[in-house]
Amino acid sequence: MAPVLQSSQPWVEKYRPKQVKDVAHQDEVIRVLNNTLETADCPHMLFYGPPGTGKTTTALAIAHQLYGPELYKSRVLELNASDDRGINVVRTKIKDFASVAVASGQRQGGYPCPPYKIIVLDEADSMTEDAQNALRRTMETYSKITRFFFICNYISRIIEPLASRCAKFRFKPLPQEVMGSRISYICKEEGLNLDDEVLSTLSVISQGDLRRAITYLQGAARLYGSSISCKDLINVSGVIPPEASEALFFACKSGNFDLANKEVSNIIAEGYPVSQMLDQLLDMVVEADDISDEQKARICQKLAEADKCLIDGADEYLQLLDVTSNTMRALCNMPEDFTYEA
Amino acid sequence: MLWVDKYRPKSLDNMNVHEDIAENLKKLVSEQDCPHLLFYGPSGSGKKTLIMALLRQMFGSSSEKVKVENKAWKIDAGSRTIEIELTTLSSTNHVEMNPSDAGFQDRYIVQEIIKEMAKNRPLVDAKGKRGFKVLVLNEVDKLSREAQHSLRRTMEKYSSSCRLILCCNSSSKVTEAIRSRCLNVRVNAPKEDQIVNVLEFIGKKEGLQLPVGFAARIAEKSNRSLRRAILSFETCRVQQYPFTSNQAIPPMDWEEYVSEIVSDIMKEQSPKRFAYSYTSCLCENFTFIIRKIIYISHCGDYFNFGYQPDTHSILFLEVLVVHRLLCIFCIVLCRLFQVRGKIYELLTNCIPPEIVLKRLLYELLRKLDDELKHEVCHWAAYYEHRMHLGQKAIFHLEAFIAKFMSIYKSFLIATFG
Amino acid sequence: MTKRNAFMVLSSDEEDEKSSSKLKSFFCRSDSKGQKQPCFSVPRSRSCKQSRIADEFELFGEDFKEVFTGVKVSNGSGTGTRKELWADRYKPCTFEDLAVHKKKVDEVKAWFEQKIQVSKGNHDSNVLLITGPAGVGKSATVKVIASHLGAMLFEWRVPTPTIWQEHMYSSNTGMQYISKLDEFEIFVERIRNYGLVSPSITGRPLSPVILLIDDLPLTFSRIAYTRLKNSLHLLVRSACSPTVILITDTDHSDSANDTTRNFEELKSFLEEVGARKISFNPITSSSIKRTLSKVCKQERCHVTAEQLDLIAKASGGDIRQAIASLQLFSINKNVSTNPTLSDSAERKDGNPSGILFGRDETLSLFHALGKFLHNKRERESTDFLDEDTFPIRDKFSRLPLKMDSPEKVLCQAHGQARPITDFLHENVLDFIDGDAVDDACVVLSYLCDVDVLLAIHQKNFSKNSDTEKVLQSCAASIAVRGILFGNDHPAPPRWHSIRKPKLWQVEKTALHNKDKLLWQRDKFHHSSDLSVIATEYTPVHRQIQHKQPDIRSATSMENSGAAGDGDDDTSMETDAFDDDEIEDW
Repeated sequence: MAPVLQSSQPWVEKYRPKQVKDVAHQDEVIRVLNNTLETADCPHMLFYGPPGTGKTTTALAIAHQLYGPELYKSRVLELNASDDRGINVVRTKIKDFASVAVASGQRQGGYPCPPYKIIVLDEADSMTEDAQNALRRTMETYSKITRFFFICNYISRIIEPLASRCAKFRFKPLPQEVMGSRISYICKEEGLNLDDEVLSTLSVISQGDLRRAITYLQGAARLYGSSISCKDLINVSGVIPPEASEALFFACKSGNFDLANKEVSNIIAEGYPVSQMLDQLLDMVVEADDISDEQKARICQKLAEADKCLIDGADEYLQLLDVTSNTMRALCNMPEDFTYEA
Repeated sequence: MLWVDKYRPKSLDNMNVHEDIAENLKKLVSEQDCPHLLFYGPSGSGKKTLIMALLRQMFGSSSEKVKVENKAWKIDAGSRTIEIELTTLSSTNHVEMNPSDAGFQDRYIVQEIIKEMAKNRPLVDAKGKRGFKVLVLNEVDKLSREAQHSLRRTMEKYSSSCRLILCCNSSSKVTEAIRSRCLNVRVNAPKEDQIVNVLEFIGKKEGLQLPVGFAARIAEKSNRSLRRAILSFETCRVQQYPFTSNQAIPPMDWEEYVSEIVSDIMKEQSPKRFAYSYTSCLCENFTFIIRKIIYISHCGDYFNFGYQPDTHSILFLEVLVVHRLLCIFCIVLCRLFQVRGKIYELLTNCIPPEIVLKRLLYELLRKLDDELKHEVCHWAAYYEHRMHLGQKAIFHLEAFIAKFMSIYKSFLIATFG
Repeated sequence: MTKRNAFMVLSSDEEDEKSSSKLKSFFCRSDSKGQKQPCFSVPRSRSCKQSRIADEFELFGEDFKEVFTGVKVSNGSGTGTRKELWADRYKPCTFEDLAVHKKKVDEVKAWFEQKIQVSKGNHDSNVLLITGPAGVGKSATVKVIASHLGAMLFEWRVPTPTIWQEHMYSSNTGMQYISKLDEFEIFVERIRNYGLVSPSITGRPLSPVILLIDDLPLTFSRIAYTRLKNSLHLLVRSACSPTVILITDTDHSDSANDTTRNFEELKSFLEEVGARKISFNPITSSSIKRTLSKVCKQERCHVTAEQLDLIAKASGGDIRQAIASLQLFSINKNVSTNPTLSDSAERKDGNPSGILFGRDETLSLFHALGKFLHNKRERESTDFLDEDTFPIRDKFSRLPLKMDSPEKVLCQAHGQARPITDFLHENVLDFIDGDAVDDACVVLSYLCDVDVLLAIHQKNFSKNSDTEKVLQSCAASIAVRGILFGNDHPAPPRWHSIRKPKLWQVEKTALHNKDKLLWQRDKFHHSSDLSVIATEYTPVHRQIQHKQPDIRSATSMENSGAAGDGDDDTSMETDAFDDDEIEDW
């Protein structure tokens, strides 16, 4: 039945750089890593930085360049967060993988093939602390024959003993131009028509996350065909169009509760994700010039609280209404404490 | 059959709202490369209808021949076996289910059952068409975090043999990992004029005379939910036909109940009720009032009267003097108790507590001064959040109501007292 | 938990090697089968647990003397050897000996007489259900009456549990393991089919026959419970000779416990299908004292009236316990020159827990709840002049409490956090002054905190029982103290009855309705959200149907009232029970 269902490879995979030197914008990292590749000697490594900046790509590219396609399967173990990663799994899987010894270093088919295995732990910051501690022991035990590549967004969530065993590499968020060139390359390959305005919208809504940008692009291309407008992109990405969020902000400034309430209901009815709304509201508040720092602090605090509540599963409408009412009170300089609270 | 079902568009070609989305979906299907889909949007916006039409577009009329199956699954979870009962709706090419029905065991459903279903792919039919199966999962936003993680895994593993169509109300409760692996389709609630169009369409089909503005009033009351609008349209039809232009549009019975609760908690405090409530207080709780007066007379020196319980006339005067104060105080707690009974009634009828709370807030906001609205909506949000953290919704609902009463009382004292 | 139990038994019972090993094996078995009794975290006092185990032990010990068959013929009282327990030796054999309230005895007797006289052609059920706390003389009463009426008494007890090792052994040889529940089912089946007339006693057909079923087999799973229920139903419907079922009440505070709840449910179920129910109250201390002094006279040991009084009070209405304490006490007195009991300091305290082996001072749950709800405080603060105390704002300062620290009271009442919270929630509004909405708000917000705390554990499935314990006791403490603090203006003291939380019933009905909705969904609405069905479809159906009743009768949804009916009887009964409690104060 295979012929009917094309295996549609995500563009993220399709256009993933295969070599370390192709990774965009992370010059220092690449320089250091190139040295490693030449000597075929690498320490444990920890890549951190915002999503979509090339961490996984780099890790995989190193592995590929070290072993080549033939040995790759037997030498590299990839584990990411969606795999069951309890302590036991980490122990057994890694142990099973690491305990099989490898042949001594012989260059094969033009690849260095150093005499150790590589374990790539993607999204390492979502591992529990217990699991990380267990890992520490494992690292020591098998340090002769394995190298660990940790990949995470927040280095603060990696326990210190682990972090200190690794060479750390920080990945910078991608600036618009870098992203733009990458995207237009993909567009050319896929035969898409994007004007500059659409390109800049794409890099704005993806906030320096190249993976997200590519995903949006692919989604939009699937839904709307080869010519894509800004609106289409916004629709696909789940970003709230600026008019909607501005209307809400304006209602907050007006000090009219009923107006704000109407805007909130409107946003809910349009089906915009509220967590996204909070994000955009935050951007607007932080960037606004006519708001005092104190007001900003008040608003941001509430935004943070509401975000947590949403994660706990609280109702979107009520949380957004609360945020709106709080913002309104901050903007209109109403007292922070409630008057009638017992 | 209800009109909602009767006039539900069957195919993507004759959608009466969301024509644009339908158009895009058609394109998607025709390319034979359908990604996983995530439909999100508020309740009553037409997600279900779109999904069913999409299935029809994919598989033809065979997707409508569904059978309901209630099956108990035995799942081996480490040391013990868990039994989960799950109802599925399936045709030859698709399976539909609500994994969140299993409550906190939803993880196993996602891990095991979906795996099971995804594994046995349907045979290629004679024309060699459509060798994949579609799994429709409803209410994905209600799945626990763990279940969502497992779902992500399933999506990756079985993407060659099956496609997932996910459906939820709020996409912010679905993890980024899933969202980024699906094509997100936002289904917004139809605008009021769109709803009016649909209602008029149905009216014409049913051969009804619609007075001017009647459909618009229903649409306005529907809170932009098409389903709601059609349901109340039909209710109106049953209750009174021919329509009159000022015909009342009946609210749902539970909504009426909630507004009763709201008027209950605000009743004793309304100025119009002063006279009534003070006499009733007098009968019910005479000694209590006397005590209050004595207390007041002791505290403030300006009440210099001798304590003579038998002289009713003096008392009566004094009662009149402090009646305002008294009536504010007389938010008798038994009200709170009655309110509890009513909330229990709602809960036994399976009205979700967060909907009750939202409705309460809605009713309150209609009646309150602007000054209080901020405060009340803050507490509503606060207690709704707590409700999700806790187990027994009644505690939090009641705490909200008590909070409101307390706030309202001090508001009244500040304003009138 | 189970393991610890087993350990404790081993350490505390050294007298009977055989049975203790048996006990041990029993626990081991239940352990290895994974049937754990649900454990609770609020610390229950140790001695209570011991006494419970002692009860069980007694039961097994007795059992052990019987042959392995389930049915035995008992002929009233035995003569007894020197080594017997006093509780066995002084088993009542006449009505005068019975410490049970005379009215209750008469009630039971009347029932028996009626049943025996018109045993044929009577359509009423032949089953009598006797409930009551442990050791109030339920079985003794039946036995005495049986011997009085000259009836044959057949007894079915919880059969001796198969030893695990033995089972392992016999499973090798091909024998099948029969659970207690299986045996019970077989037993019921047998007496239904063949009556009680076993071949050995057919010779004396004339004397009436009474069947006594002592404690029912424990059920752990829902399936087992349903089986038990079915076989009981059969029994009630078809028993042809008067049958008595004894069910021992356990503490009400344990109502979260599945097993207990099952028993509660069984009781109401039995009544529903037609069994007559008589419930025994704890024996009054004066009648315990009477019995004790009789025992003393016969044993010729000298115990002062005061000491007897203490023992009687400490036993908490459990006569078996009282006699056991007496025996122990007299042994103790013989060996030790300076018995603890005559310690004057102890006596001055009036604290009955001074007796080594009394039941500890158990406040009933309702008593404790009453204490919390009434919120009695001193008139004025005593530590006004105390320099050390922090200055507290007037708004937050409260007068000192007129009771022990709430945690202690909680502990004595064996309160579980969840039921306590539910009870407090149900009743607290009655105790707040009519106009103190602010207080109500504070109290309710504390309860809301408690709910969140209690939910933490449920949601996280954390295996760590320590944290659970801490959480539970914190939650209980917050609930109680929150109520004591929040209720700043208690209602003027008047007579209140404490109600059983209506919430429980509401939850049950809601669950029931949810099932109905699910069923409806599968039938009519293709898997829409439940909430949509509840909030939109169902009301519309109701409204439409109201106008056109003939069209959609299939989709009708009755109102919730009917579903809760089954529960009403029990709740009324609890009310009556509560009233008793409150009168005592």
